[in-house]
Order: sequence, then structure tokens, then C-alpha cells
Amino acid sequence: MQIELTGVTKIYELGGETFYALRDVNFSVDRGEFVAIMGPSGSGKSTLANIIGGLDRPDQGTVVVDGEHLAKMGDAELSRFRNKKIGFIFQAFNLKGDATALENVMLPLVFARMRPAERKARATECLGVVGLSDRLGHLPSQLSGGQRQRVAIARALATRPSIVIADEPTGNLDSARGEESITMLETLNAEGITVIVITHDPNVGRHARRTFEVHDGQLNEKPAA
Amino acid sequence: MRFTDYFALALRSLRRSRLRSGLTISAIVVGATGLTIMLTFVTSVKNYVVNQFVQTGQIRQIQVAQTANLTYSANGNAGGFNPGGTGPQLTPALELKIGALPHVTRVAATLQTGQQVVQYLAFGGHQLVLNGLSAYEADGVIEPTLVAGRDLGPRDTTNVVLLSQDYADALGFKGSYAKLVGQTVVLHTTQGYTGVGATLPNVLPPQNQCGNGGGGGGGGGFSKVCGPTSGLPAANLAAVVVGVVNGSYQGQQTVYVPLPWAIGILNQAQPQNVHYQFGGGCGPGTPGFGQPGQGQPGQGQPGPGQPSGGGGCGPVGGPQILGPSAGPGQVLGGWRTDTPGQYLSNQGNYQSFLVSVDNTNNIARVANAITHFGVSAATGLDALNKQKQGANIVALVLGALGLVALGIAALGVMNTMVMSVLERTREIGVMRALGARGSTIRRLFTFEAAALGFFGGLFGVLIGYGIVLVAKPIIAKTVNTGSGLPNFSVPLWLVILVIGGTTLIGIVSGLIPARRAARLDPVEALRYE
Ligand SMILES: Nc1ncnc2c1ncn2[C@@H]1O[C@H](COP(=O)(O)OP(=O)(O)OP(=O)(O)O)[C@@H](O)[C@H]1O
Ligand SMILES: [Mg+2]
Repeated sequence: MQIELTGVTKIYELGGETFYALRDVNFSVDRGEFVAIMGPSGSGKSTLANIIGGLDRPDQGTVVVDGEHLAKMGDAELSRFRNKKIGFIFQAFNLKGDATALENVMLPLVFARMRPAERKARATECLGVVGLSDRLGHLPSQLSGGQRQRVAIARALATRPSIVIADEPTGNLDSARGEESITMLETLNAEGITVIVITHDPNVGRHARRTFEVHDGQLNEKPAA
Repeated sequence: MRFTDYFALALRSLRRSRLRSGLTISAIVVGATGLTIMLTFVTSVKNYVVNQFVQTGQIRQIQVAQTANLTYSANGNAGGFNPGGTGPQLTPALELKIGALPHVTRVAATLQTGQQVVQYLAFGGHQLVLNGLSAYEADGVIEPTLVAGRDLGPRDTTNVVLLSQDYADALGFKGSYAKLVGQTVVLHTTQGYTGVGATLPNVLPPQNQCGNGGGGGGGGGFSKVCGPTSGLPAANLAAVVVGVVNGSYQGQQTVYVPLPWAIGILNQAQPQNVHYQFGGGCGPGTPGFGQPGQGQPGQGQPGPGQPSGGGGCGPVGGPQILGPSAGPGQVLGGWRTDTPGQYLSNQGNYQSFLVSVDNTNNIARVANAITHFGVSAATGLDALNKQKQGANIVALVLGALGLVALGIAALGVMNTMVMSVLERTREIGVMRALGARGSTIRRLFTFEAAALGFFGGLFGVLIGYGIVLVAKPIIAKTVNTGSGLPNFSVPLWLVILVIGGTTLIGIVSGLIPARRAARLDPVEALRYE
């Protein structure tokens, strides 16, 4: 298993009451899988995704990715892990507004201390993959919603991660643009990248080989249809 | 992350909020400009003072004077050149002793004559007031800075002068000082002059002439004691101008002469065994008194003194009045002049020695040795340090003001950075998701704050430099000191200090906001609206 979560629990203390965002979650994904995590709003999908991606830490339980315990990593190591292994794609795109498409895609490579010439070549290549070779110098404000999401996908791919985590990638797109994005993720998956898509769109879920459901912090695998 | 990336990213975020960055930088610019101008001013003045000391050799000199006590005592205080002097006098013998001290290279004695003997300096149609003569031994210790000609040398014993720039200007040589060099000026003495260069007659005028006319009395108010020579005419002493002294050197209105000549001028010959004939002179003692003093003030020409001579025939005048009917006196015993040594000794000896020391490091030691002779010794270093101290105090006060301005600017930077962190919380979350460490985020914001400080300092120095450039000619015009003006320039260390200082202020001000940014929880940051 590439990703293995055991007994993962995330608790928020709110006004003296403990709120379980995640409760005893066990979850494992093999290398090269395409899985979907579905569930109603506020059920804990994003929390789970952030924990898998090393952005958040569970209060209980262990997260092992590629044999490495994330709990044992310090900030520097965990940051490096996110940089090298994980590609995040957000619903809100989260592009740097004052940076061009190319610069946005180069940003994770800047954190990876890649040499300028190399990172430019790599970012150009990634933007080519998502079909934006002619938009390198455009600012996010000069791009359509679908193009912005493609820049975000290119950025997630820049460091050649083995896992891509997409949290509601289609949430801000019309169905055609959403479909396009999912197709792109499928292409990546076909090349061997593990893809975890969080969505509450059943159409998106249908692309996944396996689908999980989160309800009030509890995760269950949906039996294959 | 690479250094250049930090820099590029920091600049980008500053550019994104141009107005805010600009205002924050402006506050720093104000402080930095002020600091640059103030420090430039103070260091330039300080350098100028030091240069003056070094150039004139004052840095390696010790000024020796008789210890003085201002409490009057009828017989205790020496008169002559050193009124109030109480300690051992500055005798030629002491000069030799000091000269023999280790590390002393040379000693020069100085005298300042009063106005009594030399009245004015004449050249062409000009007659210029003299505040006495500044006399010194021209053995290389005292070397006034010149604008033309040469300094006095050991072979200049009489009939040469150095004029300070103001005199040269007043004689019409402003800007062409070299033309004055080689010209002969006249030092006009008071009436009754019997010093060096005077013609000493065998027959003296009737002694009751000592009223001295209106003229001599008017010239400075030093009515001569009515001695046997008081009726003698004034003398014109020719002096060749060998150099013109820079106006910034010592007094601005000074005439410098070689010491031997000054002593010769001061040392008045006395007629011996004068035999007066009675019955001449005033005649029947007409008490009509003619015109009271027709001599013009300041022009003790012998001529104008005469007509009112009749008026002098009363029981006025000095203590040696022989009577209204005194006639001309025959000098039967010839003329007697004290030797320079005797004369000096009578007058309380020299006023000061200037001692030149081989090395700055030995100054304190030599000065100490000199004080063991019972005289006071002030080193050029003392004087310099005093002046430097003054400049330091000015620098401190002005610098403190600049620092207050920078302190306020620091608060501005802090505020800007807090705002920037708040504004970019979500971006921080994204960067963390993309693999930025907490320390990377911290450095990113620190760079941003440092850049604010750096540009503030840079522009501040540039503007300050510009103001100095503009102000320089204005200062030169308004504060006309001849040629002596500090060279106002912004030294490199100041540029580095100011820019480095403001950069540091930026870094320190950004420390807390940057740390806050670094400690943000990535998930919380991403959730931030
Ligand atoms: N910092 C927090 N403090 C308290 N509660 C929190 C905090 N962060 C998240 N939660 C709660 O945890 C639960 C899970 O949040 P999460 O963002 O994972 O939901 P989600 O399934 O992604 O919802 P959505 O589909 O709307 O994105 C929510 O009910 C939320 O209110
Ligand atoms: Mg969510």
C-alpha cells in the first residue's frame, strides 16, 4: 500500500465540547489508484485530504506514505514531503494573483531549490501538458476559470509528485470544464500517478475505481456498483 | 529557497501593494535623509577641524604659557606681556631647556604687541588699522597656511611681514594675492617712537610738547606718558610682504612679523642725560589754548600736533613736567637701548612657546615634562579633542533626532508587515501546501521588511546627498570665510551605515510579523477568507 491511515482521528475543541472531524478512520490506497472521497458538506473530506497530504496532523492514529510515518517528520521534512510527493489541487484554484501562469507553476520548484533555467523548462512543459503553452505569461485574472484550474493542475504536477490530491476540483467549474479537469486527472492516473479526488459530484465519483463515503467523520468504502 | 528567489518574491509583494510600500518607505526615507545630512555635516566639520590641525602641524604641537592667576596683587602679578602671570616666566633660558627635552624637535617663542607702538599699516592710498603685531620665531614650528608667497624663515629678521587675507583684501588684492607678495607696505608708529628704525636726534623737542596733539591721543587712546621723547615724530617702518596668510588660519586680521623685529620695534631707546634749556617754547604762557587737537583721530601726524602745542603748556601731561617754559633738550649722554634679553626680561618675557614634538604619541609625555618647569602646557590634541567633542555632541543630538524618526518608521514597517501577513494568509497556506517550510515563509517576510528598510535607506541617502550638493554652494556663499570651508561630502561609511542601519531596522521590525506568518497553521491559513 502506498497510503495507509490507521485509526486516524481529528478532534476540534469548540467551547468545551469535543467535535470529531474524523473518527477512527482506516484508509489505504495502492500506488496508481484513482479513488474518490465523497460525502456531504462538513463531513470531514477536506480534513482527511489534508492529513493524507501532510498538511494537517491527526490527533490519533498513524499516516504512512511510501513506508514513512508522517508523525515522525518535523516541519522541514514534512514540507519537503509535500513538495516532492504530493500535488495539491484546490477548489478555489488558489493561484498567486500577481504571478503569471508560468511563475505560478514554477513556485513549487522554487521551494524545491531548482535552478531557474531548469524550473522554467519544467513549468513550461507542465503547462504544455494541460494545453496552456500559449498562456505562459497570462496572469490568473487574464484566464478563464477552466484555464485557471488547468494552471493549478500544472502546478500540482511541477515537482512530479506520485500522489495528486484534488479537493473539489470541479466545484467552481461548469460541467463541461469539470469533465475536462477530471479527464486530465485520469490521464495522469494512467501514467501511474495516484489520484485522490474529493467531490460531492456523483458524476466525478464515477471516474474513480474505488469510492469512499465520509459521514460525520466516519469513512466507509462504497461497494462497487 | 535561493537568496535571489527570496529577493524576487519579496520585491513582487512590495510592488503588489505599491502605495502602502511607498508610504512605509517614505517614513524611512525621512529619517535616513535627516541622518545622512546631519552626519555628513558633523563629520565634514570634524574632518575639517582635524585637517586644520594636521595641516598646520598643530596636532603635534604644545602651547606653553606662563601659569596665570587673575587675582590682582599690587606687586605679585607680572606686568608687561603677561599680565596676571604668576608662575615661572617664559625666558629664553627656559626655551632652551624645553628644546633640550627628548622628542622635542623645535620651540618657537611668540609675542603679541599691543596697539601702542605701531598705529596703522599704509600702502598706496590705504591706511589700515592694526591690532598689534603677531610675532613669532620663524624656525619652522609656526607655519601659517598661505594663499600666496612664502612663510617667514629664519633669515627674515626685520622689515618683512605676512599679511592675513583680510588685509590683502582691504588693500585691493582680493583674488590676486600673489601680486601683493613683494610689495612694500609701511608700518606707521606712534609719535615719540625710538625703536628700531627710528632716527634718534641729539636735540629733543621741548618737553612740554607731550600733550601729543589730538592725534596721538586719538589713536587708540593710549596717550603716551609724557617722557622726553614724546615730542619726537612717528616713524614709517618699511616692510616687504612675503606672504598672504589664509583667512582661516588663527586670527583673520593679523599681521605677522619675525620675533627679533617685533622686539626691536617695542624696545624703545632712551636718551641719556638730557639737558633742557628753559625759556623757550611756550612763551609768555598764553592760556588761550588755540584749537583743541586738530589732529585727526588715528593719524598722529607730527604736524597737526604742533599747533595745539601751546595748549599743552599747562600743568597737564605726564609726571615729568618741568615747567611751561621748557625749551629743547640736548641729549648729552647719547641713546641707550636695552638688549633684547634685558627688554624681554623687563616685560615679563615671552607670551608663549609653541613646542613641536617628533611624534603624536609623545605629545602627552613631553607636555607632562614641560609642566614640571612650572608652566602650563596645552597640547594641540587637547584642543582638537575639545573641538571634536563639541562636534560629537552635535552629532549625538542630531543623530538622536534621526533615530527617533527611524524609530517611528520602524513602527510603520511593523504595521505594514502585519497587514501584509494578514492579507496574504491564504497565500501562505498555499505556499505551505506547495512545500514551503515555516522558515521559508519567515524568511520571505523578513526579506520583504528588509527591502522596505533598504530602499528607505537608499533613497534617504540619495536625497540627503542631493541636498548636501545643493546646500554646499549656498553655505559657501552665506558663510564666507575666505577659503576655509569644510568639504561637505557624504563618506562611504556613512552610506553603508545608513543603508545598513535602515535595512537592519526593517529586519528587526519585520521579525514579529514574519514569525507569526511562519507559525500559521497551513490548514487554517488555507481556510482563511
Ligand atoms: N479549525 C476548526 N475548528 C473547528 N471545527 C473545524 C475546524 N476545521 C474544520 N472544522 C469542522 O470539521 C468538519 C470537517 O470539515 P471539512 O472541511 O473537512 O469538511 P468537508 O467535508 O471538506 O466539507 P465541504 O464539502 O463543505 O468542503 C466541519 O464540520 C468543520 O466545521
Ligand atoms: Mg472541503
